[in-house]
Amino acid sequence: MKFIVSSTYLLKQLQVLGGVINNSNTLPILDNFLFDLKQDKLTVSASDLETTMSSVLDVDSDNEGTIAVPARLLLETLKTFPEQPLTFVVEDNNTVEISSNHGKYALAYADGAEFPKAVELANPSETTILGDILASAINKTIFAAGNDDLRPVMSGVFFQFSPENLTFVATDAHKLVKYQRNDVSASQVAEFIMPKKPLTLLKGILAGSESDVLIEYNDSNAKFTFDNTELICRLIDGKYPNYEAVIPKENPNKLTISRNQFLSSVRRVSIFSNKTTHQIRLKIAGAELNISAEDMDYSNKAEERLTCSYQGDDMQIGFNSRFLTEMLNNLNADEVSLEMSLPNRAGILTPVDGLDEGENVTMLVMPVMLNN
Amino acid sequence: MNKTILHLDLDTFFVSVERLINTALKNKPLLVGGLSDRGVVAACSYETRGFGVHSGMPMKMAKELCPEAIAIKGNAGTYSKHSDDVTEIIKEHVPLFEKSSIDEFYADLTGMDRFFGSYKYASELRQRIIKETGLPISFGLSVNKVVSKVATNEAKPNNQLKIDYGFEKPFLAPLSIKKIPMVGDKTYQTLRNLGLRQIRTIQEMPVDVMQRVLGKNGTVIWKRANGVDNTPVIPFCERKSISTERTFDKDTIDVVMLNGILIAMTENLAYQLRRGEKLTACITVKIRYSDFNTYSKQLRIPYTSADHILIPKILELFKTLYNRRLLVRLVGIRFSHLVSGNYQINLFDDTEEILNLYHAMDYIRKRYGDKSVIRASAMGARTIGRMHNPFNGQPPIVLAHRKQ
Repeated sequence: MKFIVSSTYLLKQLQVLGGVINNSNTLPILDNFLFDLKQDKLTVSASDLETTMSSVLDVDSDNEGTIAVPARLLLETLKTFPEQPLTFVVEDNNTVEISSNHGKYALAYADGAEFPKAVELANPSETTILGDILASAINKTIFAAGNDDLRPVMSGVFFQFSPENLTFVATDAHKLVKYQRNDVSASQVAEFIMPKKPLTLLKGILAGSESDVLIEYNDSNAKFTFDNTELICRLIDGKYPNYEAVIPKENPNKLTISRNQFLSSVRRVSIFSNKTTHQIRLKIAGAELNISAEDMDYSNKAEERLTCSYQGDDMQIGFNSRFLTEMLNNLNADEVSLEMSLPNRAGILTPVDGLDEGENVTMLVMPVMLNN
Repeated sequence: MNKTILHLDLDTFFVSVERLINTALKNKPLLVGGLSDRGVVAACSYETRGFGVHSGMPMKMAKELCPEAIAIKGNAGTYSKHSDDVTEIIKEHVPLFEKSSIDEFYADLTGMDRFFGSYKYASELRQRIIKETGLPISFGLSVNKVVSKVATNEAKPNNQLKIDYGFEKPFLAPLSIKKIPMVGDKTYQTLRNLGLRQIRTIQEMPVDVMQRVLGKNGTVIWKRANGVDNTPVIPFCERKSISTERTFDKDTIDVVMLNGILIAMTENLAYQLRRGEKLTACITVKIRYSDFNTYSKQLRIPYTSADHILIPKILELFKTLYNRRLLVRLVGIRFSHLVSGNYQINLFDDTEEILNLYHAMDYIRKRYGDKSVIRASAMGARTIGRMHNPFNGQPPIVLAHRKQ
């Protein structure tokens, strides 16, 4: 087995795939890239058992064969090369020899057959979506997903496909984001929960991408195909909580405010809040929004007043400022509106402007119980 | 610069308060403490001490030693109120003070000599407290907390003592080593076995010897014996945990009752958390079997102050902890890792009804007292719970014998 490939081209692909590989693996073979050569097509795969990603590279060769090459060693070496052709030759003594303009390097390889096979999706459904749209859907939702091992369904993003629209939901039970696209649709109704890791990878690769992504899915796995790359991952098993039921329908109190102003005030005030709980208090009366925080342990205190447009009763509501800043940061509108009903019911944050055609974002943030 | 530290201690505080309420008790032997079979003496009047009664001893034994003594159950609420009265007066008159327990205060009078004369000022303060509250109080005045405390103990009852600067060592020298705060029964025995009786001997010893015998504490005790102590007067006491426990009159294996008590305890402590705007992240259940073996188990949880999260967790902990099929003597719970904050509402688990219910119950409790509304399952344990707010910056009310 022998092939010739450009060093930077290979590095670029491998760095993307390297994101799949965990730092510590129970199966040593997972520390490797799988190289599967078929004439002038080299398929490189990386896997952590849950997620498998592979890319097809054009190389110069007329051989066939599969080997598993140590990922870290290969990546470190490739990083140091300037652009040049590299020749990979598999020797008899279980090493693969790389020849560059500078010299020769030998790496021990493992048998490609040991590498776990990616699952084949049995009778999948499919839908196509523009890469950039998928990336922004992930970007808008993933931060709201939880980290609780005890509730695995909440550690992923919920994909809800229907012939009318696509909906993406993430929640950690304290905040919730629902991102809807009415300009894209699927052929049939489908729902599945995607784990965070493959989504983070996809987000990185697909940002700004103009190519179409083919999404195939069944009950247990999903497969994303785009350009020369393919990502297959296991879905999170379980029933996603009924999020529609917790979105309050009637919210008589509506606050509209400049996002930037609100965000920077919340940020500043939250510096003075308790370092563990990050609690701030919003007091709204008339056209004035009062944001305050207090850290009793250190006698730190802050209070800011902002003008806003507000319709509804005067109210006081407490929030974890972390949640508010994360959400406000994630939006790119100039104006946002916060709809509330009662101090112990969710506040609904929506952008007033800055949305694309067919785009719809709803963010929910649960308050903290205030004593009064 | 030398400091001037004043230590004030209310003499037989609980007894004095009882006598204030009922003057007929004056000059009579009096015991305050639990009256049940398991009760202990929390305070005893000077009249009973001649019979060998001391605080911390089982009430039964005390009554045997001094049969003519009058035993009173006592009421922590009344005591706190009188203690607060004294605190008010001290607060008005000194620049910096620390309330180290319900009946003890330290005040930093450093620098006041220039204007008043610390000893004269302290004497006037003491007279004022006696006049305004009717409670006997003693004080010791010296350069640091330890020497002042020892001086107060020497001055008692109802008297005062000043240790002049430079005379700390000679003052301590002739006293028994038992008088050093920190030397309890155990350490006393260890030191007596070394042939030590007077503090003088410790003063003459090299510090290494003490360290070899008692470890780190040895150094501290040696320093204290030499009248050296640099701990500052701390005006505010921050609660790091809140806890409650119950010793039963009779050991029990009634798990239903135990669960009821645990629920009552959790409910009460959770209310304390909410009232003080605190959250807990670590809960502990403690159990003592009839053979006095004590076990406890703790669990880290996400920050919370909600009954419906805490109660199941506590019961679950108890279930795993109670595995010896023995009679239980005591159960207790503790919430620690406290931070200021309010409960973060959960989108899916919390319903509006339950939040409104908490809100309403807390409102009723604030107005009509801690135990005005409780869970039906906790009704069996009606005496669980405390009266005062644990987060008011004051030290917990400790029984006299548990101070050190």
